[in-house]
Amino acid sequence: MSGDRVTKALLFISSLTILLLSAGIVISLLGGALPAFKEFGVRFITSSVWNPTEGSEEYGAMAFIAGTVITSILALIICIPMAFSTSLFIAEYYNGTRTSRILRSLVDLLAGIPSIVYGFWGFYALRPLLVATGLTDQGFGVFTASLVLAIMIVPYATSLSAEIISMVPAELKEAAYSLGATRREVIFSVVIPSARSGIIASFILALGRALGETMAVTMLIGNANVIPKGLFAPGNTMASVIANQFGEASGLKMSALIAIGLLLFLITALVNYLGKLIIKRFA
Amino acid sequence: MTEINTALTDNIGRRNRTNVRFRYLVIAGAVITVIPIFLIVGSLAIKGFRQINLAFFTQPAPDTFQAMMAASTGDIIPGGIANGLTGSLLMVFLASLFAIPPGLMTGIYIYENSSQKYARFIRSLAEILQGVPSIILGIIAYIWIVKNITKGYSALAGSVSLAIMMLPLIIRSTEETMRMIPVSIREAAFALGTPYYKMIYKILIPVSFSGLATGVLLALSRILGETAPLMLTALGSPAISFDITKPVSAVPLLIWDFYNDPNMVSLVWSASLFLMVFVLSMNLLARSVASKHKYI
Amino acid sequence: MAAMALLLVSCGGSGSATGKQKQITLSAAGATFPQPFYNLAFKKFNEAGGPLINYGGIGSGGGIKSLRDQIVNFSATDAFLSDEEMAEMPGEVVHIPTCIGAVVIAYNLPGVTDLKLTPELLEGIFLGNINKWNDPKILASNPGLALPDMEITVVYRSDGSGTTFIFSDYMSKVSPAWNAQLGTGKALNWPAGIGAKGNPGVSGTISQSQGSIGYIGYEYAFAQKIPMAAVMNSAGFFIEPTLESFTAAADEEIPSDTRVMLTNSSNPAAYPITSFTWIIMYKELAYGKHSSEAAEAAVKTVRWLISEEAQAIATSVHYAALPQNASLQAEELLRGITYQGQTVLK
Repeated sequence: MSGDRVTKALLFISSLTILLLSAGIVISLLGGALPAFKEFGVRFITSSVWNPTEGSEEYGAMAFIAGTVITSILALIICIPMAFSTSLFIAEYYNGTRTSRILRSLVDLLAGIPSIVYGFWGFYALRPLLVATGLTDQGFGVFTASLVLAIMIVPYATSLSAEIISMVPAELKEAAYSLGATRREVIFSVVIPSARSGIIASFILALGRALGETMAVTMLIGNANVIPKGLFAPGNTMASVIANQFGEASGLKMSALIAIGLLLFLITALVNYLGKLIIKRFA
Repeated sequence: MTEINTALTDNIGRRNRTNVRFRYLVIAGAVITVIPIFLIVGSLAIKGFRQINLAFFTQPAPDTFQAMMAASTGDIIPGGIANGLTGSLLMVFLASLFAIPPGLMTGIYIYENSSQKYARFIRSLAEILQGVPSIILGIIAYIWIVKNITKGYSALAGSVSLAIMMLPLIIRSTEETMRMIPVSIREAAFALGTPYYKMIYKILIPVSFSGLATGVLLALSRILGETAPLMLTALGSPAISFDITKPVSAVPLLIWDFYNDPNMVSLVWSASLFLMVFVLSMNLLARSVASKHKYI
Repeated sequence: MAAMALLLVSCGGSGSATGKQKQITLSAAGATFPQPFYNLAFKKFNEAGGPLINYGGIGSGGGIKSLRDQIVNFSATDAFLSDEEMAEMPGEVVHIPTCIGAVVIAYNLPGVTDLKLTPELLEGIFLGNINKWNDPKILASNPGLALPDMEITVVYRSDGSGTTFIFSDYMSKVSPAWNAQLGTGKALNWPAGIGAKGNPGVSGTISQSQGSIGYIGYEYAFAQKIPMAAVMNSAGFFIEPTLESFTAAADEEIPSDTRVMLTNSSNPAAYPITSFTWIIMYKELAYGKHSSEAAEAAVKTVRWLISEEAQAIATSVHYAALPQNASLQAEELLRGITYQGQTVLK
């Protein structure tokens, strides 16, 4: 069966692309980040000081780590009910109908909007709305950014979830129905367990998107290089500070920014790992 | 016997009510999700509609003087996004070429070998790579391609950065889609003596086509709107060009240029409107094609 | 599919000289401030037979990095290279000033359009010491102005920028407190206020938030019709930001390499927060894969930028033109540019 062997080898080789890519990225990032770690050591991760003044330069990543983690998780929390109900709507309740197709296209629309535009919309339309509610003074802050992030990542969570849910074999569902289960019971006892892996994967995909999002966040979070003091206080995220400062940075500052990029890589890994642990817990 | 019957019928009322309530909850959730869509699309349509005409698609971007003159007379700004359009299409095409084949195959590999540690490791890598901010990938492509290969800003560098962004999305969605295929289909194929590659190519892929298409579409939608990495790789150009070793424009880059020029702000909305409609059409087209191949 | 791709990209290949005019393509990158002017000027030059210039507005820092990595023909920067930066370059770099820009203090106060600010007031406001608009210190310089009892919200640039550099350079000259606390730089450790990305971000934030004040590039405030404050210059006059007042700031002795900050000019008619913007290029253009034709095209393009024709284009889109002394210096520097030792301009 050498044809089989060849195919298996081909598949294996293709898996090497992402392996080599990731290794290359980590190596390139490490090279750039080393000066910052040499200079500040572990303090780089724990300190929230960010002082670019020449002569007394000191950089610490904590403010941005806090901002990234808070906004991404908040965005996911806001997104989950929306994505979950929408994907159930599309793939279960109204599966195959025109309404479902229309809704699906509408959600696809969200995915097609460039992130800058989310930033503009958030800035010109959402911000005044939030200011009008009185919850926030100028409208910049963690909450605004998380809200827009949530809307941005909905298509990622919904699209794949809906697809996976619609692929749950009909026999499984029909078996449950024949035992007298209501629709909701079928969903919770058959559809979700069967599609669980895919649904969670879609949420992790969405979270990943949120962790790395730059443009929309940078326009709404207030760009204050400190740990946010409250839900509506300004802050900054890792992706945003890199995008903002990289163009003009050099030397130690550039190294600090690349180090933040490396840290983001690691945090994404950590979040993924924790996610898997949580799933195992509830499996 | 009677215990079982009463157990099932006792709380049938409550179960029915929960059922109906849940249904309403789902509908409400879907409606809430849809509201921002209308708000955003509405803003884009209202603000951007004026500028869209034939010239929008065929002419390169205007300069600031033309924009300024138009703004002062209240006319629509001349010119369009043709240079960005062609650049985007070029780079997306190349990026797809680079990312889709390895992405699909890696996804299949992970699915086929999901019990092995190595495969699980690769899957985790894909998830992590997904979260890397696009600007970092731009920096990487700058170092690898712009500095070392094309020795200058180029469309190739832009394509590479976009391809790296597409890869993890395609890998993950491929694998998840494959997982939903009933094992029985696969076993049936083997039972009939189908060679491995044929099983993948004639059975696995066609059956999961709709899911694969979703993954690819998601990836394409993502990269069509990316700006940061392109600033460091493709740079931008006022001309319509297909030379991959030279700088090239892209629609998001143009949006960034329009944003930074005080006279051209209204073009931001039009270009964004266009991008959104384009992505939607692409999705619709692909879905209608995929639905003809749905086996499950 | 792959074959089609190869065909497509080879079509766009450069150097397919079929005897007709072979279009030279140059790459340039850098500051966003002069980008509208450059794009327009490059376009006009191209229409008149000059090369095609691909310019990317990736910021002054990006431009400097690109030049250092030798992947562009020239770059644009709002801040001239320091001695350390010059030393890091693999070759000698010349600075050619192309026009003059200014940083204005824009504000959003309902009913107020004639705000006058002194260096002390700027220091107080931006350092967070003066918090309310009706502070007596502000009223002292603006007698008769109806200043409301509103909190001052400072808006600064969150991204590293030449605009911040120019503003902080001026402030460091006129305020010892600023010099000690924040210094001069493209990104500062702001004690108060909110950060917004880019000129559009800051001007957008200011127009949307009442009681806010910030610093932005002149052409932005002008195009968006945001009120700008008159600033007291070193001679004690409150100067409104106008193109003439910007050009006046350069009307003095400038060093032969043109590396000078025009802020806080001694000229009594000058607006104090002004600066050149420069094109930077290597003195010896035979580097990387650049041909002698490309070198000639590059020098001719930059010379076009400082010509009367291009400077008229600059003023038509609200950039301030170079005064005579600066353009003469620039010409001199261009004449010194060589390709493999031979001067490019004959």
